Amino acid sequence: MSVRRAFLLRSMPLRLAAALLLLFSVVSLLGLLTSYVYTQRSFEQTLRADLSQDMAGFRAAPSAAALAALVEAEARSTDPERVVLSYFAPNGQHFGNAVVGRDADGYRILSHLPGNPEVTGRYLALTTSLRGGQLTIARGLAQIDVLRDVFVNILVLSLLPTILLVLSGGFILARRGARHVAVISSVLDQLTSGNLQARVGDVTGWSDDLARIAAKVDQMARSQEDTVASLRQVSSDIAHDLKTPIQRVAVHLDDLSQSDDLKGPERAQLDKALTELDGIVSIFHSLLQLAQIESGSPRARFAPVDLTALCQTLCEVYEPSAAEREQTLTFATPDDPVPPIVGDRNLLGQVLANLIENALNHTPKGTRITIALSSGENHVDLSVIDTGPGVPEAERELVLRRLYRLDRSRTTPGNGLGLSLVAGIAQVHGATLHLEDVQGGFGVRLRFPRETAPIT
Amino acid sequence: MRLLVVEDDATTGAYITRGLREEGHSVDLVTNGREALIQATSGTYDVLVVDRMLPEIDGMTLVKTLRGAGNHAPILFLTSLGSVEDRISGLNAGGDDYLVKPFAFGELSARVAALARRPHAAEQESVLRAGSLEMDLIARRVTREGQQIDLLPREFAILELLIRRKGRVQTRTMLLESIWDISFDPMTNVVETHISRLRAKVDKPFESELIKTVRGAGYRIDS
Repeated sequence: MSVRRAFLLRSMPLRLAAALLLLFSVVSLLGLLTSYVYTQRSFEQTLRADLSQDMAGFRAAPSAAALAALVEAEARSTDPERVVLSYFAPNGQHFGNAVVGRDADGYRILSHLPGNPEVTGRYLALTTSLRGGQLTIARGLAQIDVLRDVFVNILVLSLLPTILLVLSGGFILARRGARHVAVISSVLDQLTSGNLQARVGDVTGWSDDLARIAAKVDQMARSQEDTVASLRQVSSDIAHDLKTPIQRVAVHLDDLSQSDDLKGPERAQLDKALTELDGIVSIFHSLLQLAQIESGSPRARFAPVDLTALCQTLCEVYEPSAAEREQTLTFATPDDPVPPIVGDRNLLGQVLANLIENALNHTPKGTRITIALSSGENHVDLSVIDTGPGVPEAERELVLRRLYRLDRSRTTPGNGLGLSLVAGIAQVHGATLHLEDVQGGFGVRLRFPRETAPIT
Repeated sequence: MRLLVVEDDATTGAYITRGLREEGHSVDLVTNGREALIQATSGTYDVLVVDRMLPEIDGMTLVKTLRGAGNHAPILFLTSLGSVEDRISGLNAGGDDYLVKPFAFGELSARVAALARRPHAAEQESVLRAGSLEMDLIARRVTREGQQIDLLPREFAILELLIRRKGRVQTRTMLLESIWDISFDPMTNVVETHISRLRAKVDKPFESELIKTVRGAGYRIDS
């Protein structure tokens, strides 16, 4: 789920929405800021004008006493929160609704109202000497503060719904997109795992670009299916055309072997011919099988396979052959149970058979051959190890090639396709093939991925 | 038995037909799918041997059509392709067994015989008998002339199979398929080894030989 969420957060629609939202926020913020600054300035100008006008009104007073009376009268009806009036008469007496003083922290306004000695807030003040005293008029900037609050409110009220709307829209689009992407990717997974009938299908309601990709995926799948089908037809035609004469040769040879007047050397030649025919059939089968494996089509049949049971069976099947050659074949039962891997039991059986036959055929008497299974966190290892001469380092790449045989193996049975088949089967199972020197001999190791669940 | 062989290659067709007739079967040979369809629906056959690739109507379609029409005669497919995939598709189409070309006649004959008298589900006996030998499937006990014989699990399974299919040859590949579940041909003498171990226990201490070797084909227990 967290992976899914991370995927959603990284999806295109959500990223676009976030970018647009950022742009929109910045633009509207700038706009509001500009108009706020502008409005604030014009407010201040108005205040200054008001202050000058107030001052002009008091200048009209003819004497200090008249001015004091005027200030006192005016102060009575004036709230110091809004306008502060303060007049120090020439005799030092104070008139007004508040005193403006100054200390280390700056200016202070002390109100004359009971219970409210200090007035806080910002003020714009004008001070002048008048009629021998000092007159101070200050107008509160509370209005401008209110203005700021109004602008912040406007910002929040206009931006918040936009943010919610855009983000949820983006999220819905992203989720829908993610669902469609998931459909496409599951189809691609099925195609790669061999199910060539997988299609995206109906895309009504999809976004244009995803619908177009889906259509292309389907088109690709159709052509891949056609190619594989025609390839299969061709190989089955070739198989038929070649097998028919091979079968005829087998028939003729069989007829010949039934006849009673065959002499020793003739019978020996007949046996040679039969052996050669077996060789042809074996190469032919292996090549056909390789072609089929490389097309990936066995994946459609994959099911969980118990490798432990398979190793036991194959060990049992080859044990008599090993004994006959005075070699030993053992299956080292793993200490911990090895989980099943997803694959084709028959093909995996052939892999083991090939590896065991290789070990039996290419090692001297007395060789010990061990089949080993082990599992790690992400893999399952299947190895066939022998105490024989091994494969020279320089030729390890080459032995995987089709029909390649080591010089010393020319005389031993086999068609040179065994390891190619092993490599092909390994590949179709997503396994890696390692030829390596191991403690006590030479080993061929297949490392299978440990799958959590089979692809359906 | 009455058998129908559908094979377009003349040499192979003649070979199969001749061999099966020599074994005493009555065999009809047709060389294309259309004729096969007519022949199979007009006569009653015990087993059909059908090549998968035929002119006019191919083997797969032929078998599907026959099964669709309610014909349940056992069918042995002959095929040029040997992969598991082809085997599965052949069996899915309604085939009962599968033989890859080139094949030896002994293998074909053994498989035809096995198909003709397949054991029915009703054959749920718990004690099997062959001559003086008795096999208790529940107690997993084998006795001959009252003497107990100890068998390993695989030996027991082989003996059981041979007795269940009494009178019919079991080839090496048939035994590999039934006993070891291996459908490819391993280069090993495991079958021969097990048979000889089995013989050492079942036949050697007694006068008559129970397990017979059929040259070029396989093994058989007669009743």
